[in-house]
Amino acid sequence: MSALDELRQLRKGGAQVRKGDNRAAFWFLAPWFAGLLLITVGPVLASFALGFTKYNLIQPPKLIGFDNFARILSDSRLHNALRVTFTYVLVSVPLQLACALGVAILLNRGLRGLAFYRSAFYLPSLLGSSVAIAVLWTQVFGTDGLVNRVLGFFGVEGRGWISDPDTALSTLIVLNVWTFGSPMIIFLAGLRQIPEVYYEAAAIDGASRWARFRRITLPLLSPILFFNLVLQIIHAFQSFTQAFVVSGGTGGPSDSTMFYTLYLYQQGFSRFDMGYASALAWFLLLIIAAFTAINFWAARFWVFYDD
Amino acid sequence: MSRGVRRGAVWAVLLSLTASLVACGSGSDAGGDLTTEKVTLRFTWWGADDRHKRTQQVIEMFQRKHPNITVKGEFKEWNGYWDSLATTMAANDAPDVMQMDELYIASYAERGALLDLNEAKKHLDTANFDQKALATGAIAGKQYGLPVGLGMYSIMVNLDLLAKYNIPVPDDTKWSWDDLKAIGDQVSKAGGGQVFGVQSPGINDAAGLSIRARQQGKAIFDADAKVVLPQEIARDYWQYILDLSKSGVAASPSVTIEKASAGLNQSATATGTAAFGLWWNTQLTALTAASGAKLKLLRLPGETQGASPGAYYKPSMFWSVSARSKYPAEAAAFVSFLANDEEAAKVLLTERGVPANQKIREAIAGQLKDTDKAAKEYLDTVPVSDPPRITPNGASTLDTILKRHTEDVLFGRTTPDAAAASFIKEVQSEVDAAK
Repeated sequence: MSALDELRQLRKGGAQVRKGDNRAAFWFLAPWFAGLLLITVGPVLASFALGFTKYNLIQPPKLIGFDNFARILSDSRLHNALRVTFTYVLVSVPLQLACALGVAILLNRGLRGLAFYRSAFYLPSLLGSSVAIAVLWTQVFGTDGLVNRVLGFFGVEGRGWISDPDTALSTLIVLNVWTFGSPMIIFLAGLRQIPEVYYEAAAIDGASRWARFRRITLPLLSPILFFNLVLQIIHAFQSFTQAFVVSGGTGGPSDSTMFYTLYLYQQGFSRFDMGYASALAWFLLLIIAAFTAINFWAARFWVFYDD
Repeated sequence: MSRGVRRGAVWAVLLSLTASLVACGSGSDAGGDLTTEKVTLRFTWWGADDRHKRTQQVIEMFQRKHPNITVKGEFKEWNGYWDSLATTMAANDAPDVMQMDELYIASYAERGALLDLNEAKKHLDTANFDQKALATGAIAGKQYGLPVGLGMYSIMVNLDLLAKYNIPVPDDTKWSWDDLKAIGDQVSKAGGGQVFGVQSPGINDAAGLSIRARQQGKAIFDADAKVVLPQEIARDYWQYILDLSKSGVAASPSVTIEKASAGLNQSATATGTAAFGLWWNTQLTALTAASGAKLKLLRLPGETQGASPGAYYKPSMFWSVSARSKYPAEAAAFVSFLANDEEAAKVLLTERGVPANQKIREAIAGQLKDTDKAAKEYLDTVPVSDPPRITPNGASTLDTILKRHTEDVLFGRTTPDAAAASFIKEVQSEVDAAK
């Protein structure tokens, strides 16, 4: 029985049964709705209101109009945080997706022990945003860390990767690229969907391996690539834990790892300026929305839906 | 990690929900009698394991004396402590008794979060505190914090390293900052890239800068919370730090930053990779344990060349009571116990600094380890001048602002002169923003 038949069957079913079902469903969903309203929607609306106030967490908020938003324009440390965040997003996301796609194609060849490799490559995604890995990172990239030991073995002089403002952000980018497992799994599922016959036909026509990838794999995978791109960009904009732990909460050295979210957090909880922090949160929402909109617009030119 | 972004909003709503509940319930009055009903006080502090164990023991002693009062301890490490205190305050769920720091006390007190302890005089005995010490916890005549211990800035020298390189211990009664640099240079030359002369200052706190200003008869803030630090003093301070780094007296900037950010146990002093370091005198015990070396406290350089001694008694921390505590009288009684009880003092010893309570200081003298005795002796003998003004409301980020400017200077992203101007401007704007 196809899904359409099933739907028809359901439509024919008695209206009374449906009403009872709805009521039960409502009660089962009620706890979730309560959570959504109290823990998500409520605070989101409250933060919108707080964006127009001066609020130091202890005394009641004072209305100050658009001052917080005006400050966004003139806050040079915020502009630096934006620069750091954009660099992070624009460098780490393409690299991460390239790694994910590359490994997915390798794994799709059906090698032995596939399940093991798949899990092994996926593991970093589960760990990547954890505190433990961030702590590990400070050790690996420290002056006496693993990276410098390996470099030293080859006679290359190491440096304090995390404590030097020129390289600190790169270590965080490497950390993000390393967590390519979740887009990889999605790519892998997408690759499985591409009918084998296309490749066979192309091979018979004498298409090279690169041509097959370029003309068959990429177009048919483009919706998946688009999905991963949108998701990972949003995810990267919201990165917080890594920078917080690696820099000890400071965003240092010299503000070189000052992610937007970390700056926002410092405004709210170190400077007791929750009004400004709320305005920043809404500004971040606008930035992410803009990026997503651009993505959807650009998708018309390169995403191919095969239906 | 959208949770980080959203967390702020969560607290905002919690506040609006709880705001309506303020002043409900049957609480006590700060000046009234202690209740005989069963009450629970929440008590919070930051620190390391050793402190948690000792404090828990003292809590139990207090509960035996007051069977109807339960004290619930909550402890965290330094950074998490302040984040969590800010959020619990916002949620109107602040602990009754808290460990407070000089950097934050004005920021909380001037926003009305702390109780004036004078209101609870009946339960809080301050007879054995020096007036000067008490004054460090008072703002405009209101006692927002009771000083727990006192500390002094000092130079800690690793005697083992000096002996190894055959360098005599300097005479600290009249040495200058240039003398420190010169002897540090000898150590660095002998250390061959492994051991350096001086652990670079200017990273973990602003005390070094404050000392430099005080030696020239100036200060960072004046009584009205205006930043009055002359730009030349700040410039010379960063020039000195830059010179230490460039001449190899201190380790390279990235090693310096890494070690300083990793906490006391990873510091250059604790790992025996620098012979001299600026520390609070009360850290002698912890650093001796961490380094396994013989350390000695020296007086600060430049104390005799300038206008006045830069050294002063800094309260290591305060006991404060929340202005919204339902049981201010009981909270004050607990603070009084922490500050005055001899049995409690014998458990706490100098873990929170050399006790500010003079009677207690003598009572525990016999029990102290050699390093604690040395810290106490330093406090008792080294000349000091009046303490600087409490860090004003809004300037609780002073240390992090200083650290960022030091990093900018060390990595050549700015000049000492530009750093000095930018630092003064930023600190002033932080203070103004809090008004």
